[in-house]
Amino acid sequence: MFWRKTKAAIASFHPLHQALISHHTINVTLDPAGWTALVASLSRHNALVRRRKWALPPRTLDVLVPLVQLLAADMAPGAPLAVAADLRGGKPAEKAGQRQQLPVRPPVRSATQWFVTDPWLWVRAPLRDGSVLGLTVVDRFRHRRVQKRSRSGKYKTKTKTKQTQVIRVTRTLPRGLAGQRPGTAPPAWISVRIRDRKRRALTATAKMPTVPCSSEQVQHILTVATETFRWTPPGPARPERRTA
Amino acid sequence: MTGCAVTTGFFVLAKCGAPAVTGCPQCRRPLCAAHVADLNLCPECAAAYGHGGHPAAAAAGYRRGIRSRIARVYSDRHWYDQLDTYDRAAFEPGAAGNPEFADERDSGLVDS
Repeated sequence: MFWRKTKAAIASFHPLHQALISHHTINVTLDPAGWTALVASLSRHNALVRRRKWALPPRTLDVLVPLVQLLAADMAPGAPLAVAADLRGGKPAEKAGQRQQLPVRPPVRSATQWFVTDPWLWVRAPLRDGSVLGLTVVDRFRHRRVQKRSRSGKYKTKTKTKQTQVIRVTRTLPRGLAGQRPGTAPPAWISVRIRDRKRRALTATAKMPTVPCSSEQVQHILTVATETFRWTPPGPARPERRTA
Repeated sequence: MTGCAVTTGFFVLAKCGAPAVTGCPQCRRPLCAAHVADLNLCPECAAAYGHGGHPAAAAAGYRRGIRSRIARVYSDRHWYDQLDTYDRAAFEPGAAGNPEFADERDSGLVDS
């Protein structure tokens, strides 16, 4: 009876868009044309849906969509882009670890600590230069709850939360390409590891002191990913190889 | 037939290469039908003049801005210089260009 127009609009959305509304997660592999259709559906959301219950999860339009569009531009037509995004945040119980009791002394009665690990983004994209880009973003929270008796005799509970974010970008180079170390070192907060197997893999890792806001998240991801591309300086830009 | 000379991609840069149908009146590069932006300019020239409505123009402006910022973070000018002169020149300070295409929405002039 109520919200008929909104329900009808949601029924017309892309199935993955509907899954994002209901489950706040997405786990799919699509070609760029499929992602274009999904992005077009997502772009209609805010104009048709006003109810907060059916709002898109945070980071969908600010992080996921721009990132997919950027990576799709670097991929060959028809190449699959795999994305697994869990945008439920740190609230689900399965993301929290065991609670630990910390040693205390008066006036503190008890102190409990637990960690929450939220691996909310995983992406795999084969690029048109033959390399494969892998991206993971993990948010980590440390929660502490302290119960203490104040000097006035009242019992109070205080909570503290500390947040960090780890961005890890792995680029597997094309077969036979080893790359070369860039002339300048990356910033101190980005570390690089090299794994040599059949194909060399470069992994750039950054631990952010805080979880960035949605508007800056994509910039941080791109900044970390840049290090893996500095190892293979491009030649002069050539026309795309069109397979069709 | 001349191919479209617009740069595509973010990390892996390449020229579009599609058959060109016209040329940019500002930078004279050949353009395909998909890359003709506002005022019949190429995406980079349109973005430099503040006309970012076309998706390619918005992408060009975003790419230039992010690459410039990342180059400062890494203290690596070469990362920004990977963009060709057409991608960068329109955004350089002092690049007057053709005032006919300038965005006059915020000219700073007010009626007294």
